[in-house]
Amino acid sequence: MKNILLGIVFIFFTSSALAQDNTKLDQVKVFINEIGSQIIKSADDKKLSVAQRKAKIISVIDESIDADWIARFVLGKNYRTMSEEHKAAFTKLYRDFMINTYGPKFQSYNGKRFDVTDVTEQNGFYIAKAEFLPKDSNAAILVSFRVKERANKLVILDFIAEGISLIETQRSEFNSAISQKGVDKFLEELKNRIEKLKTQKTN
Amino acid sequence: MFRIYFPSIVFLLTIFTYHNQVFAKTATNKSAGTDIKSYEAFDDEEDFENYEAINIVEIKDPLEKFNRKIFVFNDSFDKYFLEFVARAYREELPKPVRNVVRNFVTNLSLPVSAFNSALQGKSENSLATFSHFLINSTIGIGGLFNVAGEKNIRYNQEDFGQTLGHYGANSGIYIMIPFLGPSSTRDLTGLAVDKSINPIEFNSFEVGGKEDLIEMNYRLALAATTVVDKREALLDIIEDVRKDSFDFYATLRSAYIQKRVAEIKN
Repeated sequence: MKNILLGIVFIFFTSSALAQDNTKLDQVKVFINEIGSQIIKSADDKKLSVAQRKAKIISVIDESIDADWIARFVLGKNYRTMSEEHKAAFTKLYRDFMINTYGPKFQSYNGKRFDVTDVTEQNGFYIAKAEFLPKDSNAAILVSFRVKERANKLVILDFIAEGISLIETQRSEFNSAISQKGVDKFLEELKNRIEKLKTQKTN
Repeated sequence: MFRIYFPSIVFLLTIFTYHNQVFAKTATNKSAGTDIKSYEAFDDEEDFENYEAINIVEIKDPLEKFNRKIFVFNDSFDKYFLEFVARAYREELPKPVRNVVRNFVTNLSLPVSAFNSALQGKSENSLATFSHFLINSTIGIGGLFNVAGEKNIRYNQEDFGQTLGHYGANSGIYIMIPFLGPSSTRDLTGLAVDKSINPIEFNSFEVGGKEDLIEMNYRLALAATTVVDKREALLDIIEDVRKDSFDFYATLRSAYIQKRVAEIKN
């Protein structure tokens, strides 16, 4: 009898843990679906001006990514050697760089459909695979997102298309640029690039 | 002459790739160029380490200085010639015509892809690829129409570089090949093997005699068409990356290595 009771308690806790896991995977699915839909909807919203559409997409990206974490990740080995001032300057610039680079890009993503097809968990990160079907094509583009929960809020850490991770590519690129140009020159270039992107944005 | 040298080149490249694997395991920190794995973990936070474990791929570029010189040459060739040709091709030919060209060149690559799938033990993909080839070559009139694709017969392209990767060969060192672009010792070996087993390229194994199956002029025309078709497909992406990147060479290198890893894992 005691064993049966223990068994029931064990099954109860295991199934409740599994249910929690599944709930989390579902939450990630809803979270990414929501972001994809918002971007497609904003990109196609004829009631908004070009500038308003861009602003809306930028705000969706800004709210859904953990720019500070990504900034630190893309600095790679340089994070250990850079001064605190440089780190702070980079983190601030990086956020601006991300939203102003990818906001306008996503604006041209006119899509028929965006669906999250699968969500898994690996090493504490959620991996959401999604299909994006552009309006002018019948071939779906396969993308995936790396998501993490921070302070009870889901955030995107990486975007992967055709097997190519955005943040890993940036890490390689930024590290190479820093080692060739030096931190100050790189930060200056980054700043100039952002200014240029912001100007393009308002045009 | 090429027939004599070809197997030797393949052999040497294979040896080089595997030698490099051993070299990589014992001397990663000694490489003169970039070796991303040799970076110290840049943060103690578990998150970063966990993320590295699932995401980071190894890039070995001890020939970086030399590669960058070739890259400058390739980039100029691309900017001033290839991109110009690809843009003219896009502007002058309507999309349906370009699709026919793409179907045709893709179809010709399928037998080698099916063979590599079989070598990797992916029998279903091998059959799907070969079915694609058969259907498009017959009903699709010599591969001009993608009938199999419209019938949702899906397949993954495989090459010998992927086959080597499937059996555990790492990418070896990164190399930039004049005119051809990014590659690695493993993938260059793969390319050489794929060329040698593709009857369209030339009759390297002298099957049924020493004559090439297809005349050189046609082979060159086919190769040129394939290059222009591929470059046209990449016009927007490359323009974007060139414009956005702080170091185009490093961006392309990382993207190439990651894409190959993803292709091997599929």
